[in-house]
Amino acid sequence: MASTSVLDELKKSQIIELLEQGKRVDGRALDEPREISIEINAIPKANGSARVRLGETEVICGVKIQPDRPFPDMGDKGIFICTAELLPLSHPTVETGPPGPDVIELARVVDRGIRESHMIDVSQLVIEKNKSVVGVFADNVVIDYDGNLFDACSYAATAALLSSKTPKWNWIDDAPTLAEGEETPVPIATIPVSVTMGKIGNHIVVDPNGDEWASMDSRITITTDSDGNICALQKGGHDGFSQDEINQCGEISVRVGSKIRDKLKQAQTEGQ
Amino acid sequence: MDNKRKYVIPGDVVTTGPFRPEQNVELQGNKIISTTIGISEIYDDSVKVIPLTGKYIPKINDLVIGKVISHTSLSWELDINSCYVGFLPAQDVFGRDFSAHADELTSKLKSGDLVAARIANFDRTRDPLVTISDRDLGKIDTGDLIKISPSKVPRLIGKRGTMIQMIEMATDAAITIGQNGWVVVSCETPEGLLKAKKAIEMVNEKAHVANLTDQVKEMLESKGES
Amino acid sequence: MGGRDATMVLLDENGIRCDGRKVDEPRRIMIKAGGLKNADGSAYIEFGNNKILVGVFGPRDVHPKHMSNTDTGILRVRYHMEPFSVGERKNPAPSRREIEISKVIKEALEPAVMLGKFPRTAVDVFIEVLQADGGTRCAALSAASVALADAGIPMRDMVAACAAGKVADTIVLDVNNEEDQAGQADMPIGYMPSLEKITLLQLDGVLTPEEYKKCVQVGVDGCKIVYDIQKKALQDKYFGNGAE
Repeated sequence: MASTSVLDELKKSQIIELLEQGKRVDGRALDEPREISIEINAIPKANGSARVRLGETEVICGVKIQPDRPFPDMGDKGIFICTAELLPLSHPTVETGPPGPDVIELARVVDRGIRESHMIDVSQLVIEKNKSVVGVFADNVVIDYDGNLFDACSYAATAALLSSKTPKWNWIDDAPTLAEGEETPVPIATIPVSVTMGKIGNHIVVDPNGDEWASMDSRITITTDSDGNICALQKGGHDGFSQDEINQCGEISVRVGSKIRDKLKQAQTEGQ
Repeated sequence: MDNKRKYVIPGDVVTTGPFRPEQNVELQGNKIISTTIGISEIYDDSVKVIPLTGKYIPKINDLVIGKVISHTSLSWELDINSCYVGFLPAQDVFGRDFSAHADELTSKLKSGDLVAARIANFDRTRDPLVTISDRDLGKIDTGDLIKISPSKVPRLIGKRGTMIQMIEMATDAAITIGQNGWVVVSCETPEGLLKAKKAIEMVNEKAHVANLTDQVKEMLESKGES
Repeated sequence: MGGRDATMVLLDENGIRCDGRKVDEPRRIMIKAGGLKNADGSAYIEFGNNKILVGVFGPRDVHPKHMSNTDTGILRVRYHMEPFSVGERKNPAPSRREIEISKVIKEALEPAVMLGKFPRTAVDVFIEVLQADGGTRCAALSAASVALADAGIPMRDMVAACAAGKVADTIVLDVNNEEDQAGQADMPIGYMPSLEKITLLQLDGVLTPEEYKKCVQVGVDGCKIVYDIQKKALQDKYFGNGAE
């Protein structure tokens, strides 16, 4: 996304100079994410929602839960779909129209991070086998951009799902019928947390902000689950990582991820 | 606020009567209304509104800080924080005998470079023409870029330069203020640099506060982080 | 339409509506100027349960160039609803309704904005509906006007908007979602308060000529209430505690 935004060279050389000394422009340690603020239930009419601020990057995720037809050959499983959209008001370079490859990659990486962790037990979301299932849609919209949309969207979707309530439908007369007043929390099996690291020169930085994102040569997003296992991964950018660096990133994602998992759990408890 | 100065928003009536409408006002019937958020000023026979927001509108001879965003074989394009992109012809840098075949533009300036430039010409039918051919202009090699609202630049400079001089003397920083709201600060010491940046940000946020100069002075004189 | 609670009382014998309001009372309105880091101007509005965010960029270069105008800047408006903003999840792609509302809001703002001094540029207004509950176009237009002022776009007046309607045979101010579904008429109005001009006007429903005039009057009165809140939003951001 920042490919059309020209970073001034002075800023890039400042970033690299500081990294050589083990420092970052905003004073963070290299493996330190920005402050995360999570507001649960930002959209009360949705089934669940969260507004997440990661530095000045801001994302809102709204969860809608409604009956749907199951996928073919998956009649005993509910549906989970996670999307991400970059809104034109988030940055002057964002264009309207169908999403380009950057945004499609963002949406698919966020979706995979949650799906592959099996966060939602979709086998519990069946109304009538092979005919009707519960569809859970987590839609992310980015309203302000300052780098690292991968993690911001992931946290927003996870926080929104953790606090989502699903209505109950019964199969009556060949149709799903809403049972009023019978809402239950969405069945959650684990809490996925993604950690994105950028490579600038020879340095790995966690949660690159807007300027760092424009300066980096490549990046990697690693998602871990509540057991500390790695369940999803995406490398992007123009340069490569050494094997040691890949291993280092794996360790960082487990360590940093677990602290962020605590924050997500705390936000869920406070929001109730 | 005295009678001659008022806070206004678009559509507010500044005054009625035989005044000449100047910047950011419009005559509607016999009413002079503001067309922007700002502070209205009534002089002997004219009325204007000083805007508190909005992009930079180029004025001939203004010093601006620009960022090179692209180039052709004949010129560079600069982001100058305006509605229009600044146009810097190759001759300005290479001289009259510039040759598109022989001289490579990126050898002098490339995308991402910051420059101190002056607006050479501007009328709304074309993009503003800029020049960097004076002694105090050209590529900026060191310093931090801070962006403030162009409407706050007069406050940052102060009456006869008093505000900016106070900041420079207290921090030993060298500060170049672009009329377009982009400011470059360089300083030998990191503490001086931090204090200078903080002072500039204070002015940007509190320009409407009456005793701003005192507040900035107090911050500059205090020891350590506040 | 329909599928709503048939036993809901739209207007009871004390003149109280289904959500507790009186006939000339608008829902709770809150407007905040600014708030987005990257947009040139922005505003956020809560109008009843509507939650709408607006970001403005410009005046800025137009791409593709053939869309620009050599004599004046152009205004572009995009009204867009998030998938989670409505009862049944909405497809992110623009619907015909959103395209029409974008156009209507653009034409409501054009009489106010002054782009003659910015030829070959565009001012982009991006409206994002985060939560919808009836009357989004009026709330969106009101917030857009504040965002344009926040961006410093020259305007000869603000544009404030509010809907009036007919519910249970009575003309009421600010129709909510239930009243829109079960009521008899809904008339959104956009109004420039200093120039006293109506720049947005639509009607859904049936009104007698007398009711029509009353509806317009009630709506314009509602717009004036919204205007005071717009003014306060800009004063709070720009004039600090020292107003005139």
